[in-house]
Amino acid sequence: MSPIISDIIKIIIWPPLWQLIVLGLLLPLGVVVFIIWFERKTAARVQRRIGPYHVSPRIAGGLQLVADLMRYMFQEIIIPKTVDVAPFIMAPLIALILSILPVVAMPFTSNASYFPIGMRYSLIVALALITLSPIFVIVAGWASNNKFSLIGGMREAYLITAYELIVMVSFLSASAATGSFDLVKIVEAQAGGKWLGLLNPLALLAALIGVLLSTSGFPFEIPESEHEVVAGAYTEYSGLVYGINMGAAYLKRMVYSILIALVFLGGWRPYTPGPGFVSGYLIPSIVVFIKATILMMIFSFLRAVYGRYRLDQALDIAWKYIFPLAVAGFGLSLALAYLGIY
Amino acid sequence: MPVEFAEKTVPPGRGIFKRFKGNIEAIAIGVKYFFDPKRSTLIYPKEYIKLRENYRGFIVLNAKKCINCGSCARICPAAAMKLIRRPYTDPKTGKTRMKLWPVINYNRCIFCGYCVDVCPTEALHHVNYHDVVFDNMEEMDQTLESFQQAPEHPTAKEGIPVRYIIDEEKGLVKVRVEGGEQ
Repeated sequence: MSPIISDIIKIIIWPPLWQLIVLGLLLPLGVVVFIIWFERKTAARVQRRIGPYHVSPRIAGGLQLVADLMRYMFQEIIIPKTVDVAPFIMAPLIALILSILPVVAMPFTSNASYFPIGMRYSLIVALALITLSPIFVIVAGWASNNKFSLIGGMREAYLITAYELIVMVSFLSASAATGSFDLVKIVEAQAGGKWLGLLNPLALLAALIGVLLSTSGFPFEIPESEHEVVAGAYTEYSGLVYGINMGAAYLKRMVYSILIALVFLGGWRPYTPGPGFVSGYLIPSIVVFIKATILMMIFSFLRAVYGRYRLDQALDIAWKYIFPLAVAGFGLSLALAYLGIY
Repeated sequence: MPVEFAEKTVPPGRGIFKRFKGNIEAIAIGVKYFFDPKRSTLIYPKEYIKLRENYRGFIVLNAKKCINCGSCARICPAAAMKLIRRPYTDPKTGKTRMKLWPVINYNRCIFCGYCVDVCPTEALHHVNYHDVVFDNMEEMDQTLESFQQAPEHPTAKEGIPVRYIIDEEKGLVKVRVEGGEQ
């Protein structure tokens, strides 16, 4: 093999780059395309319909998503005269980048040579990076100069006050139980079937509902509710930029799912990473991705069952019921640590 | 009479356990339907609903029964039916003279069926389908010749005629019925 090709391969599998581009962008995009198809088919199944069908009947309408993607790619991008152009264009792009950036802080293996960035506080860094992107949804709504966009952005701002604390407390209960902010140590502590989600279901439930609130999943699809505000903060967008907006929301949910899989569902744990690229990096990351995909499927299944809460109902539920649940989960984690299970 | 004010009372909220139970029940029903789907979608070009004989579909003229009274054109609320002047040869006497014949413009027709109701000799009748394809707008303005023939029904050539019935256990069910050309 010539040295140039081996150098290129070394650059491609350099952990930070591989993690951001392949595990943060390309693989989640594939999962997202599958999840959108699954969401439509599941909602149709439960609601006595068939769902996407005519584009490719033999594989249950699987090519419909590719057709939709092509349509978004080649649609004209309309920028209205009244918008503030620079934030209007930049906000969805920055939101997309900030949605996938937390992946860099998440280790997918216990093999230290394949950590993207080795650090002792990776859980806190990942959570901090995740919480940045809603600001740019509000910026997009403000820059659109449209009443629906503004109302959508403000609804997002209201919801931040509802979910931020729930997500933080429920994820940090893992640190309370295991005594570490390092995701590798948290995953390794769950070895042997001691999954935190099984021993502490309260924190897992609070984290799931917090993620649904944060990514406007279905019972809480409040900032983009079609019947009230046309598409929320994304009303004025069209074409590929609108696709980036929608993709950023799904990618954010995917990143949250990966974090839940790492913190509560044992990460790569049925499998023990060995040396080398394949057994030390590729297979553990695939195990984590399978867990995250199953979580995404559960999230999208809720679309078929639930209607939408009002904004005040969502805030009411979040503060009256889910936040005490998260605090109870934190207490349960302290009890687990006191009993010496971890 | 003075207005009586009714005091609006807010019903007491459900407790946390009832709320939790309601959510679990909703998800359980969703899971049940997910694993045992009961679909009732009509896959349209491959299946079509066989409509009843009295359905108010497209309108056909039987020129042999028509007495040229013009009632259909007069009653038409959308002014879709109009009268045109065409020569007519009486079979008994052999004389040829001009008469007024009804033709319809489907650009305007609202399928109310007044013309069929008002016709004194039942020269107009409905066909029981409504999914007909026209290539352009000029074709929708019928001539006297095309108005006397039933329009072509393309879905009947390709599709399976079905009808919805309400089953006591399964709910809305599609049943195949007789008819259609396939």
